[in-house]
Amino acid sequence: MKRTYPYPDAKRFPMKDFDMVKEGLLGLAVVTVLVLIVAAIAGAPYRPAITNQQVAVQNPVLIEQTALGDLAGTGTMATYGPPYNNGTGSTQSLAGFSPETWWGTPYPLNTAMDDVITPLSMLASASGNSQLTKALHTYQAAPAATQAKWNQNLSNALNKATAVGATVKLPAGNYGPVAYMMNLELQLARSGLLSGALTRETNQGVYRWDVQNNLLFLQGAALTNIAGARNMQGGQWGINHDEQAYPGPWWLTPYTFFYQVPPWNASDSGDQMAAYTAGALFMLLVIVPWVPGLNRLPRLLPLYKLIWRDWYRDENNKKKKKKLEPNAQ
Amino acid sequence: MNLTARIRKQVSEQLSWDRLLPSEQPVYVSSLVYSFGVLTLSSLMVVIASGIVMAAKSPVWYQTSAVGEYFRSIHFWSVQAFFFFMTMHLVVQFFMGSWREGRAFTWVLGALSFGVAVITAFTGYLSRGDFFSQWNQVQSKDAFNGAGLDGFFNALNNGQIYGLHIAVLPTILIALVGWHLLAVRRMGVVPPYPVENNTDAKVGEES
Repeated sequence: MKRTYPYPDAKRFPMKDFDMVKEGLLGLAVVTVLVLIVAAIAGAPYRPAITNQQVAVQNPVLIEQTALGDLAGTGTMATYGPPYNNGTGSTQSLAGFSPETWWGTPYPLNTAMDDVITPLSMLASASGNSQLTKALHTYQAAPAATQAKWNQNLSNALNKATAVGATVKLPAGNYGPVAYMMNLELQLARSGLLSGALTRETNQGVYRWDVQNNLLFLQGAALTNIAGARNMQGGQWGINHDEQAYPGPWWLTPYTFFYQVPPWNASDSGDQMAAYTAGALFMLLVIVPWVPGLNRLPRLLPLYKLIWRDWYRDENNKKKKKKLEPNAQ
Repeated sequence: MNLTARIRKQVSEQLSWDRLLPSEQPVYVSSLVYSFGVLTLSSLMVVIASGIVMAAKSPVWYQTSAVGEYFRSIHFWSVQAFFFFMTMHLVVQFFMGSWREGRAFTWVLGALSFGVAVITAFTGYLSRGDFFSQWNQVQSKDAFNGAGLDGFFNALNNGQIYGLHIAVLPTILIALVGWHLLAVRRMGVVPPYPVENNTDAKVGEES
């Protein structure tokens, strides 16, 4: 009977019985049982999300500083640039190559309007607060130089301010309507309604899939301080560190490594540089079969001898036997 | 030539039951390292099964209920197992030079699966709904923006992230892994390096 071979090169090698289905089922059973047990014993990492309300209660000054930076246009997000606005503060570029700017501003963010003026206008309307309506009008009608003066005065004062209960205690000064506006922003955050007001904007009135403005309001010191205490910042191996002692996404290590060493961690365009470097390394992995040197590396390293040690031992035994056979005759 | 007949002939030859579900293997298949592939696949099945339950019940459920938390833990640890076995599989296959003798495309499919799995897992980390998600959303936005992907992806849009995580990326991943498996079964596992001959078989060379 003609022998059939399962693979093109199988005819070169002797075959043995092998139950693939049994091995698959056994593997699935082992992994499932192990995972179910570890999950039951160890649980999973989780730290409740941070809200503006929490920050407002724990650090009222920080909320006012963040809101003032957004109003004055001095905050990180106010000058970020594409894809949020037309600033240049965070635009990355490598030798003039800056694809970040190619798409315009698909996720528009005007921090003064979106984070402060609009939420406060909503609050004034909802609560019938005519003093707030008047303060907003006064601020928006004032010349830019006057606005800047008020903002700067309040910014300086906030650097030394302390919280007393639910409000921030400020020394007397020329803050125009801004101190009152910031206090109302703080109260809005304390009530828990600021997040809703911010999230509402990025969803253009539809359901709340997109939390952009809310997260961008929190993204400065509020989140950075908490992340820093847990070694989650970029220069601390960032995402590699999950909560407590749980393993993080360690498979991202080749990527997060770049953020620890120059030139990546020293460049304003470090993210762009790291992304392209990681992309290039990944492509190298994909094309290993065609990379001269790299595709012969396994042959030079002895590890394959360990993996196929039974096969090589049998082959050596066969050879020895062959050598001995002529002598025996 | 009749296209239907040609496809049927090629499929029946190259993906015969003897190749898809062989009851024999070459004698050199004798090491625990051959289990890493099947353990990777097994982990992926647990990942998908737990993920389907979580998707059916919603992110609120897996963050606020005890049963939801257990399923989140199953998902978390099966992902850890998946990456552990996949990394071991990749490393071992590298040391075996498993792209030899016409198996280069199998390697490419495996490497692409690894890349897509990394992105899928990342969108999962952003879908946890906790502080870790928040923090990595605001951190990663700079990387995606800087790389020029801002036109396609907003890391702060939970709807997009969740859709990518539970539908788009798993579909691509399952397709790639399935294709990788078919490629492995079509050609069989790579033979050992020759004992005496020190020259490697060229990539794509059929025996």
